[in-house]
Amino acid sequence: MKLNLTSQFTGMLALGALLALTGCETVPETRTVDAKGPEAVNTAAINSQDWASAADQLVGSLLSSNALDNAPRTPAVLAVDRVINNTQLMVDTDLLIKKIRVALTRTGKIAITNTMGLGERAVVASEAAELEEMQSGKKQKVIVPDYTLYAKLIQQSDKGTKVTQNTYSFQMSLVQTKTGLTVWEEEKSIAKQTKRSGSVGW
Amino acid sequence: MKTSSSSPLRSAGALFATGLALLLTGCATNVNTYERADSQATPNYVADKRVITDNTLAGTFRVVAINQATVSGNLLKVQATVENLKNKLRTLNYKFEWVDANGMAVDSPNETWKAILLQGRETQTISTVAITPQAVDFRLKFRE
Repeated sequence: MKLNLTSQFTGMLALGALLALTGCETVPETRTVDAKGPEAVNTAAINSQDWASAADQLVGSLLSSNALDNAPRTPAVLAVDRVINNTQLMVDTDLLIKKIRVALTRTGKIAITNTMGLGERAVVASEAAELEEMQSGKKQKVIVPDYTLYAKLIQQSDKGTKVTQNTYSFQMSLVQTKTGLTVWEEEKSIAKQTKRSGSVGW
Repeated sequence: MKTSSSSPLRSAGALFATGLALLLTGCATNVNTYERADSQATPNYVADKRVITDNTLAGTFRVVAINQATVSGNLLKVQATVENLKNKLRTLNYKFEWVDANGMAVDSPNETWKAILLQGRETQTISTVAITPQAVDFRLKFRE
């Protein structure tokens, strides 16, 4: 009987120790959020909501300008020109450009060429075209783009006594290749203020 | 002697009154607006249906009007005029959604929750353009 009580006590002690060792372990909590929603982490940099907002505003402005109404064909061929990142951020500019490409392509008014310009290059498509040229002996006709899209990202930092403001400007221009004229231009800005944390004095 | 005892009291009273005045008016960032009395614009207003599930939000922001236009030949553009009913700066999160002729939601990569800041009693417009001609209807959602 005594042995039985001792073994029960030992078992409970072991169970308690096990619970104490594993029960208090902090499990990192992860939840899925809308990447472009208000729950997205807001930082002094450009977050996912900012990219989506900038892309939407630029596309809205381009479509509202009716600049594509005088296109020589439908869909008009667009080549993505340079996207200059003059911010202090190491970002992939496709975070902006891809959203604009997707939106413009879906309108049915724009087809984006991948064989010209500094945008996304279709390497396999180019190789396939070269192979076709070799096999058929005919030179493939490359479509000259009707428009080129040029973009620039700029960051301006202003420091107050307690607050730092980062203003990010998204500039975009649509150039008609035949005339070299800019047929649409837009600049949208997002300003972010960050309060400086108090310094620790020793 | 009499003046020396009443002076601190008077100063405290003045300070209290100033503080109260600042408390009542200092935080307000209301916006005064002036515009042409007889507007030359002829907006194409849309009759809207409202589903309110958050009365506090509805008491903070009011949709004054919604109008629409066609841009780039066949794309629908919608603009809503929103008013901040409070006397303080408020952030409004809004989102547009598009619906096609069959009542199906039209996916649009850039139609996400967006935030705007409205000063006290300020009226602002928010707008969007459908990226496909198939979009014929819209939904506008608000959250604070």
